[in-house]
Amino acid sequence: MAIFPSPEWADEYVKKLNSNESYKDSGKTWEDTLTFVIEPDEKYNKTWYLYLDLAHGECRDYKYSDKEDGVPKATFIYKGKYSNWVKLINKEIDPIQGIMTGKFKLEGQMMKIMRYTKAAKDMVNTASMVDTQFEA
Amino acid sequence: MWFFRSPDVIFGADSLSYLNNIDAKRIVIVSDKNIQHAGLIEKVIKNLPDNVEVHTIDDIPVEPDFDDITQHMDGIRSFGPDYFIGVGGGSCMDSAKILFALYERPDISVYDITPIVKLGLRKKSHLIEIPTTSGTGSECSWAAVVSGKNEKRKNELASPEILADYAILDPEMVLSLPLNQTISTAVDAMTHAIESYVSSWSNPYSEALAEKGLFMVSHSIMDVLKKPGSLELRNNVHIGASMAGLSFSNSQIGLAHALGHSLGAVFKMAHGTAVGIFLPHVVSYNSLEVDGKYSILNNLFPEDIKGKNLHDTLIKMFKVINQPLKISDLNITRKSFDDNLNTLIELAEDSTGITMNPVEAGREEIKELFVKSFGD
Repeated sequence: MAIFPSPEWADEYVKKLNSNESYKDSGKTWEDTLTFVIEPDEKYNKTWYLYLDLAHGECRDYKYSDKEDGVPKATFIYKGKYSNWVKLINKEIDPIQGIMTGKFKLEGQMMKIMRYTKAAKDMVNTASMVDTQFEA
Repeated sequence: MWFFRSPDVIFGADSLSYLNNIDAKRIVIVSDKNIQHAGLIEKVIKNLPDNVEVHTIDDIPVEPDFDDITQHMDGIRSFGPDYFIGVGGGSCMDSAKILFALYERPDISVYDITPIVKLGLRKKSHLIEIPTTSGTGSECSWAAVVSGKNEKRKNELASPEILADYAILDPEMVLSLPLNQTISTAVDAMTHAIESYVSSWSNPYSEALAEKGLFMVSHSIMDVLKKPGSLELRNNVHIGASMAGLSFSNSQIGLAHALGHSLGAVFKMAHGTAVGIFLPHVVSYNSLEVDGKYSILNNLFPEDIKGKNLHDTLIKMFKVINQPLKISDLNITRKSFDDNLNTLIELAEDSTGITMNPVEAGREEIKELFVKSFGD
């Protein structure tokens, strides 16, 4: 079981993403970099960054850090508070609804990512496949 | 947390006269040549307050691309409207939404019209939509479908801020709608109701509107085809279609729309005809997951058309109203279909309709649905 967020969780997530056939299919024409930003709240007091280099249904590189300049600058940034990430990973909200309800913010070329809503959903589904332990 | 969004809806006979109440000085009407020739723009203008200036755009094509729409921006900016009125089917109403957004925000691109960008519209103008077909639901939705220049893809723009301020549903505006368009738009409306009802974003508001919308359309459409001049029957279908539009606008469309957008982009055809081809197949595909909800919808159809399940009812109804059941019914040859199958699949995979369908569909499932829908 991997604690979210942590290097072990990131390793496990990328492993599962790269073996996810559905993501391989939905992300096959998508080539971009994306950073997940986990922001602090009452349950988690740090900011954590997971940078993903996505190409054709695979994550070809990834980096994580607790500092913004510890990861490369990505073309898309998806950020939200820790407790909202917990809801996302538990599939209580979906990634687009998360933005529309103000629980998450997305920076980057919006129309482009709207073409990859299925890939985004598959990425979230993958997160829920990781055997995850959350902060108490 | 979720939202319910709707324009102010003015409906029923003589609802066009509501236009006389708007506080407007300069109005842009967005429409097309057929609507102009049918005298429907004139009907709208006659109901406007005295002394308003009107700038009419009447050349929106059936499937506009970005340039067809944005070429009017210079004229609109120099006119300086305080209201936009879309008059027509989905293309005219969607074009009005895009022109309204770009007039309000000259600094944005059409690609910024997404649900995840705050646009801050309505600083200079407002938007009214007046449908002349009963089915697209565009008057009540915050989506706009537009083709890319020189590409087959249909871009699905969406933002809660492009939702109209007023939707005016006057049955007089659909009395002369030709029967083939009456059928295809009614099929589109029923598809909106059924897909939104089972969408993964469905909610009590969207479900209630889907149920009532489907009931009103399915109980009146066959009679409308027999008595197209009946204002009462037209009114029922018009309101039902708008309710179905409100329903999907507050939940989402599904797989039949994803496949239909793709088919319509490759082989030009009426949107409702395209989505209707796939609807019974998608209902079968989704059945294991949402059979209970489909049973509720099946019970809403008229008794004499009701089959043992929703799939059978749809087939029966489509036969009665002459909605094609197979792609091969549309003068598309097997060779042409096979030659374009990869493009069809790829376009469908990019559609947002895939994402909120209650059952996941990957490339293989989409291919299978296309092949099944081709028929013999």
